[in-house]
Amino acid sequence: MRALLALTVFGGGVAHATLAPALGIHGVTPDLPLIVVVLLALRQGPEFGCVAGFAAGLLQDATGGGLIGVQALTKAVIGFAMGAAGSRLAVTQPLVQVPGLVLLTVAEGLARFALLKIFHFPATFGDVMLYVVLPQALYNGFLGAALVVALTCVESLRARAA
Amino acid sequence: MKIRKFALLAAIVGVCLLLLTLQTRGYGATARDLLALVTTPIQASVSRAHRAAFGAWDTYRDWKNVRAENHRLRDENQQLRVEALRVGETEDENRRLRHLLALQQRLPLTTLSGEIIARDWGGWIRSLTVNRGRGDHVPRLTAVISPDGLIGRIVDVRSGVSIVQVLTDPASTVGAHVVRTRTPGIVEGDARGTLRFKYMARDGAGIQIGDALVTSGQGGLFPRGIPIGRVRAVDERGPALFYYAALDPAVDFARVDEVLLVTGDTRHDLAAHFPTGG
Repeated sequence: MRALLALTVFGGGVAHATLAPALGIHGVTPDLPLIVVVLLALRQGPEFGCVAGFAAGLLQDATGGGLIGVQALTKAVIGFAMGAAGSRLAVTQPLVQVPGLVLLTVAEGLARFALLKIFHFPATFGDVMLYVVLPQALYNGFLGAALVVALTCVESLRARAA
Repeated sequence: MKIRKFALLAAIVGVCLLLLTLQTRGYGATARDLLALVTTPIQASVSRAHRAAFGAWDTYRDWKNVRAENHRLRDENQQLRVEALRVGETEDENRRLRHLLALQQRLPLTTLSGEIIARDWGGWIRSLTVNRGRGDHVPRLTAVISPDGLIGRIVDVRSGVSIVQVLTDPASTVGAHVVRTRTPGIVEGDARGTLRFKYMARDGAGIQIGDALVTSGQGGLFPRGIPIGRVRAVDERGPALFYYAALDPAVDFARVDEVLLVTGDTRHDLAAHFPTGG
């Protein structure tokens, strides 16, 4: 459990630092730690999702240079929520995955914006949503769906081999 | 169990809010320093992984690009070489045809140009096949020349093609004389593919290596004055009736591609139209 958590945080961080800039389209990069947290929370449950989200968010906060604790809080809540709702969602369907991840990213963005507003964040809501949250949400949706499909294929291959 | 889950969430939310509050109250530096102790090694590892991953990727991409470029340049080089060969070949053909045309225009003879389409170089027979035949009204024993000199005579006229007996054919004999001394004799081919000049010893005492030989025009078959070759060696056999001189042909029979067939009157002296230097 602890090893998986460490791997999640570290792997997500490495992926975010290495792959995200390369995957950027017109300045929009995916939030890979969020995708990883969501995918693992769906499989491991709310506790794991909460701690993984907190750790991954904290790492992002620390490396990003903003207020420490904002992404840790939002990702911890998202991880917890997805872990708790995982058993009730048909997450193997791409039609659920894409809009699901889009909505989650938007929710995370809204939560982050609300938190930052409390601490006098200067940017306007419209700009943040239009130029940051929504493009990233769409990107996360498609990338996350692709990852889910890839993971499902790997799991089915492993099951067949076993 | 459920309480534990929510307690964990509440604890994490509380920690986060505490962190945020501390930062806004001016304790952010301490919190950051503490966090930096944990995150700096991770960040360093992430950065190393990032550089390693991208370095390897960039190297791979460069290698792939260089490889693709190498392939492209090789193909281009190959094409250019073929193109250069083709251009060279065309230029060469053009030059040969110009020479032939110039000769055809300056000769006071009726001639027909032809192209060599086959060669028989076996030894028993040395012949060329020219793409002029019965349809072109080519008579048998027509003289065949090139800008360099005499090639031979037509020995067989067929439909569409004619067979040229080359001077080096063992059955070939042509009346000739040495330009410098006017020594008459007969140029013969032999089985080795060489030419020799057979002449009477008493007349040929003065023949020297390098002397040019031309057709004598006797017999009316070949026009007079067409270059045949140059003396390479003289074989003097003491008191023999005939001497022999080995000749270097004026024409490289293996390389000749275009020829002129002398179809009209052959009673002309062509010495002025061929540079013999002898």
